[in-house]
Amino acid sequence: MPREVAIVGCGMAQFGNRTDKSLMDLLKEASTKAMEHTGLGETNVSALYVSTMLAGELTNQTAIASALADELCLVPAAADRIENGPASGGSAVKNAYLAIAAGLFDIVLVVGGEKMRQVPGDRITDLLATMTHPTAEYIHGVTLPSLAAMFTRLYMNKYGVERKHLSMIAVKNHENGLKNPYAHIHRKITLEGIYSSPEAEVNNPVIADPLRLFDMCPISDGAAAVVLCSADIAKRFADKPITVAGVGQATDIHAVSQRPDPTTLNAVKISSQQAFKMAKLEPKNMDVVELHDAFTILEIAESEDAGFFEKGTAHKAVEAGVTSLGGKLPINPSGGLKARGHPVGATGIAQVAELTWQLRGEAGERQVKDAKKAFCCNFGGFGNNVVSFVLKRED
Amino acid sequence: MENIDSMLSLDWDIPKKPYPAKAITLPTGSKMVVREISREEVPFLLDAIRPLLTISADYYDIVSARMYAELLGWYRYRVRNEYCLVGIVDGELAGIVNNRLYDSKTCISYHTMALKRGGRVGAHLFAAKQEHAIENLGVDQILVTAESPIGFNRWMVEWNLEPRQGMQHELGGANAYALTKEGYYLRKSKLVFGERPVPQALLEEALHFKVVAPDMVKDART
Amino acid sequence: MKGVKCTNCASVFYPKRDCCPKCKSTKLDETEMGDSAVLITHTELWAVPKGISQMPLVLGIVQFDNGARVLGQLTAKEVKIGMHLKPVWAVVRKIQEKEVYGFKFEPV
Repeated sequence: MPREVAIVGCGMAQFGNRTDKSLMDLLKEASTKAMEHTGLGETNVSALYVSTMLAGELTNQTAIASALADELCLVPAAADRIENGPASGGSAVKNAYLAIAAGLFDIVLVVGGEKMRQVPGDRITDLLATMTHPTAEYIHGVTLPSLAAMFTRLYMNKYGVERKHLSMIAVKNHENGLKNPYAHIHRKITLEGIYSSPEAEVNNPVIADPLRLFDMCPISDGAAAVVLCSADIAKRFADKPITVAGVGQATDIHAVSQRPDPTTLNAVKISSQQAFKMAKLEPKNMDVVELHDAFTILEIAESEDAGFFEKGTAHKAVEAGVTSLGGKLPINPSGGLKARGHPVGATGIAQVAELTWQLRGEAGERQVKDAKKAFCCNFGGFGNNVVSFVLKRED
Repeated sequence: MENIDSMLSLDWDIPKKPYPAKAITLPTGSKMVVREISREEVPFLLDAIRPLLTISADYYDIVSARMYAELLGWYRYRVRNEYCLVGIVDGELAGIVNNRLYDSKTCISYHTMALKRGGRVGAHLFAAKQEHAIENLGVDQILVTAESPIGFNRWMVEWNLEPRQGMQHELGGANAYALTKEGYYLRKSKLVFGERPVPQALLEEALHFKVVAPDMVKDART
Repeated sequence: MKGVKCTNCASVFYPKRDCCPKCKSTKLDETEMGDSAVLITHTELWAVPKGISQMPLVLGIVQFDNGARVLGQLTAKEVKIGMHLKPVWAVVRKIQEKEVYGFKFEPV
């Protein structure tokens, strides 16, 4: 009989251009904050999961989970590094969930981080591109932005999504990011500045048409951490434990061109359905959502494939303000990947941290009122591996 | 002695028209005023550039050192036919660009420095200084090179720069690329923006700009 | 240009693979892709990765007459959805300084 699992604390090392700290320092900062937030005191963590996609490649250290266990004096806790591309964070949280649910560990620290900015942009672009299909995509010079661009063109032609809808999402997420002290980007942008003025041609240049500069998340350093524990001891640490009510994960055909419908994110669909089914909840029950907007188009597509809007209609909801902080279904109150930033291994955990703060009423200026049920999905590769969670506050 | 002094003392020696100030909308929605500065304002710009002289990341040190020398040279009458435009946002100096005319038909593109980042300041100011050379000063071509390879690849294509084989750029002898008058007008609608005239209050603010500590900016190219 | 055809559900895929993503059968035969494809989406990429010399890089996804959808570089300057293309074998990029070959698509 699987045990119920709760989230009892979280912490983040601000995302951005962190020339001041090493990857290990960032992981330590987020971990320490999460453990303090939890109020662990003398209680020992039984296991540590470290999520990072690029650590060995970019920093000269492999087996980082084992190293961190010692750095944090968590020895002899179990430790693993989890890698699942940009969905590493989601996978790490999932693994912590599994271990606790199975009764193997009682308290688990999950931390993810990346140091990506000190490497030339074209090298990072290329490293991230190695996630794509080696012969069907990579050798042709495909990058994730180019896949997202071709996906966007199909989406625009099929469903009537326009450039202005994408810009509206960028404006919204920047606005939310201003209220998030941990976000990478704290800069207001306006629809006039990036879309409707003649200057927008230079302000928001094409990167991979039809996607532009402000349709793409930044490259960031940073770390995020959460602490999970068995629900029966959660009240020791939190008055209002957050339950991991639903978990889902699915893969998709690797090469985007080979998918039966290239505009459907099937892994988002299946993993979200699994998570909702397990939680015995539906998309319409959610109060707040964190989606993986590596590209603005993905916020639209994921919100549809996760069941929040009919396929091909989310852009209208965006235009009507439904998904802004004050709207009926706030999406990415944290600023999303666009403004919060995207240290690849940290993102999935940062999503869970944001929702934890939201459900505990600790989200400050970006608090969604009475948030009790939340959903997030962490998108790996170009949607070929997605991890989804449904979280709820026990009242 | 007088002969030598006049030989070394350089100023404009071809017809010079002033640059009409314009206001550009940035991604933040703020307006950047682009205006020409006078020689007397150079010391303020030197103050702004000085902190960047020791930053080796992204070629800041060399670009700021060269721009510092160019502006100081102009100020002290040792560089001929130089001009400088600045971008002002919310009353603060956001960027500096400079060029000099080799003769009435050829302009040498010097440098572009954005002191505030993330707002495409460098891109707009680069366009403005070339606009001045072609449209107001009447040159046939502008010779461009760059210190930083990052982004130059794209600029070459965006501005349709033509390689000039065997012609060394004044800045250290690198290969020169030319922005011709024809090339400029072909690309103008996608690259050159701004509204004229600048509203009076905004212009006032831009005339008395403040110099604040620069962001560590990414954009620094000729 | 050789792809594979599933003997169970008749779906065609390129590049070759060992199992059919549609019906999961492992009985796939080699098949000639032919020369006839139509452009279904495209992009002009300005942020090119290391090893690519074209600036910008034009990419597209084409659909062959046999139903298979394939991604590749496009040689044409002007592209339009629905245009007819055929595969050509050429150097597509460098990986660690070595030239790599693949199929590009040029207008018919």
